[in-house]
Amino acid sequence: MNLKELKELIEMLRNTDISELEIERSGFKVRIRKGGDVTFPPSMPRMEYPPAAIIAPAVPAAPATAAENAVEPSRTNQIRVTSPIVGTFYRSSSPDKPSYVEVSDVVIKGQVLCIIEAMKLMNEIESESSGKIVQVLMENGQPVEYGQPLFVIEPA
Amino acid sequence: MFKKILIANRGEIALRVIHACKEMGIKTVAVHSTADANSLHVRFADQSVCIGPPKSADSYLNVPSIISAAEITDTEAIHPGYGFLAENASFAEICNSTGMRFIGPSPESIKLMGDKAKARETAQKAGVPVLPGSNGVVTEESSAIEIARELGFPVIVKAAAGGGGKGMRVVMEEAGFANAFVMAQAEALAAFGNADVYIEKYILQPRHIEIQLIADEKGNTVYLGERECSIQRRHQKLVEEAPSVIVDGGLRRQMGEMAVAIARSVRYRNAGTVEFLMDENGKFYFMEMNTRIQVEHPVTEMVTGIDLVKEQIRVAAGLPLSMTQDQIRVKGHSIECRINAEDPEKFTPSPGTITAFNPPGGLGVRVETAAYTQYVIPPYYDSMIAKLIVHADTRDEAIMRMQRSLDEFIIEGVKTTIPMHKKILSDPDFQKGDISTKFMERYGNPVK
Repeated sequence: MNLKELKELIEMLRNTDISELEIERSGFKVRIRKGGDVTFPPSMPRMEYPPAAIIAPAVPAAPATAAENAVEPSRTNQIRVTSPIVGTFYRSSSPDKPSYVEVSDVVIKGQVLCIIEAMKLMNEIESESSGKIVQVLMENGQPVEYGQPLFVIEPA
Repeated sequence: MFKKILIANRGEIALRVIHACKEMGIKTVAVHSTADANSLHVRFADQSVCIGPPKSADSYLNVPSIISAAEITDTEAIHPGYGFLAENASFAEICNSTGMRFIGPSPESIKLMGDKAKARETAQKAGVPVLPGSNGVVTEESSAIEIARELGFPVIVKAAAGGGGKGMRVVMEEAGFANAFVMAQAEALAAFGNADVYIEKYILQPRHIEIQLIADEKGNTVYLGERECSIQRRHQKLVEEAPSVIVDGGLRRQMGEMAVAIARSVRYRNAGTVEFLMDENGKFYFMEMNTRIQVEHPVTEMVTGIDLVKEQIRVAAGLPLSMTQDQIRVKGHSIECRINAEDPEKFTPSPGTITAFNPPGGLGVRVETAAYTQYVIPPYYDSMIAKLIVHADTRDEAIMRMQRSLDEFIIEGVKTTIPMHKKILSDPDFQKGDISTKFMERYGNPVK
């Protein structure tokens, strides 16, 4: 990672509520922590959260994608659709078909939003609410874990 | 050699496997429930995949979730640790059939040894003494008493469908037999819906001695000495040690060769442990075989100098064993204390936040733990905080080292069993090596 990439990373972090980010690549490791004072009062135990929980795991994605995906919904009534299983995310039923949903589509409860493939089985993921797709958080073919945020829906 | 291994477990054993992998240059994948997102095994693995909500059934026992996690991370092999899916034959089968090597024995071995009756049969066929008993279920009281007389009192009447200490009646002498037999059948019916009982010889002061073995793909099978695990409460081991004070070189060879004979007879591969019960006269009987790496494996590692988890990985990758039988030596003495987040008197679980955590150190002290300051012990899994293992030249020195280490092990915020371990280690009978599986009864924990 060069100085330019490092600066970009720091700048990107500024606009998120990630407080600590650790990246390790072959032979290179950096930890960036936000916030003022470096010293902690001795009486307060330090809370260390393992970075692996912050960065989207199992995905050799560029840091940019990881930071974007960690954005919280900006309005409190928005709903995040999360993955109920572990597998691979697909936006359509097959490569030549169109995506099930796009940003700004209106969906109804029970409508199929995407496919998650697990152990060669295609699982249709249905929406639990009716509303408008505000964000699509994963890319076609990306691996997903249990609880991985997939979409942001603004309920009707 | 594998490039990437997924550990299908959590806590200290997951970390243990990660240690071995890192030292072998193998990448690691940790799987975790949402409750374990801040666990050390997740932190120290190269990759992690969340596989489900807190309950074990939905996460660490969730086979599709774990296999999916292995698929999306290009995992080559899966280490199951102990507990959870470690002795689940169909999980081993699924791993192997989806192209992921299961680091352990074959599904057939797991199935065979998981069936207690078949395991007994296997041992008998291999020429190993088994606890004498009725060959199968006894329904008539008249035949039952005959069998009991032949075995010689005391005997125990046990529910065939039972386990966990339920549906068992010990009969000390013939006069009490008829009544006990009928009661045991009634209890078995009530507890398990099945009145089938069988009879076994009962050993008054048994010692639990187990033999660690490992075999490679070519069938080279070695034993790595014994462990004594007699300090138990309700069938849960508390303290283990290697070697056992009542096992000398000759007995070690005898029991070791018998364990190997059993393993060879079923073409057993990878690590396993054969458990024996020993009576007051030094006679031993096959109890069961565990087809996994065990919690107490570190004491064997300390006295033999062999890294068992690395050997498991090597064997699974098709490499030969690192040593031959004559190269294995037992040196010095090792003791392990299992430190749990439990009330030291009542043994009720005590989950919560660890506010201070200072493990002991120094020569001959080894701590296996996934705990740390501010760690929140989740209520969904076992209550183990750490395994404290010591090694020294003699048993007396190992005891002193363990006592010193227990004194220095500071864990605050939750109750721990450290006070109980201190009592055990300073008990005169324990120090003399005069122990049996009845030992813990003196601390108000009767074993039925």
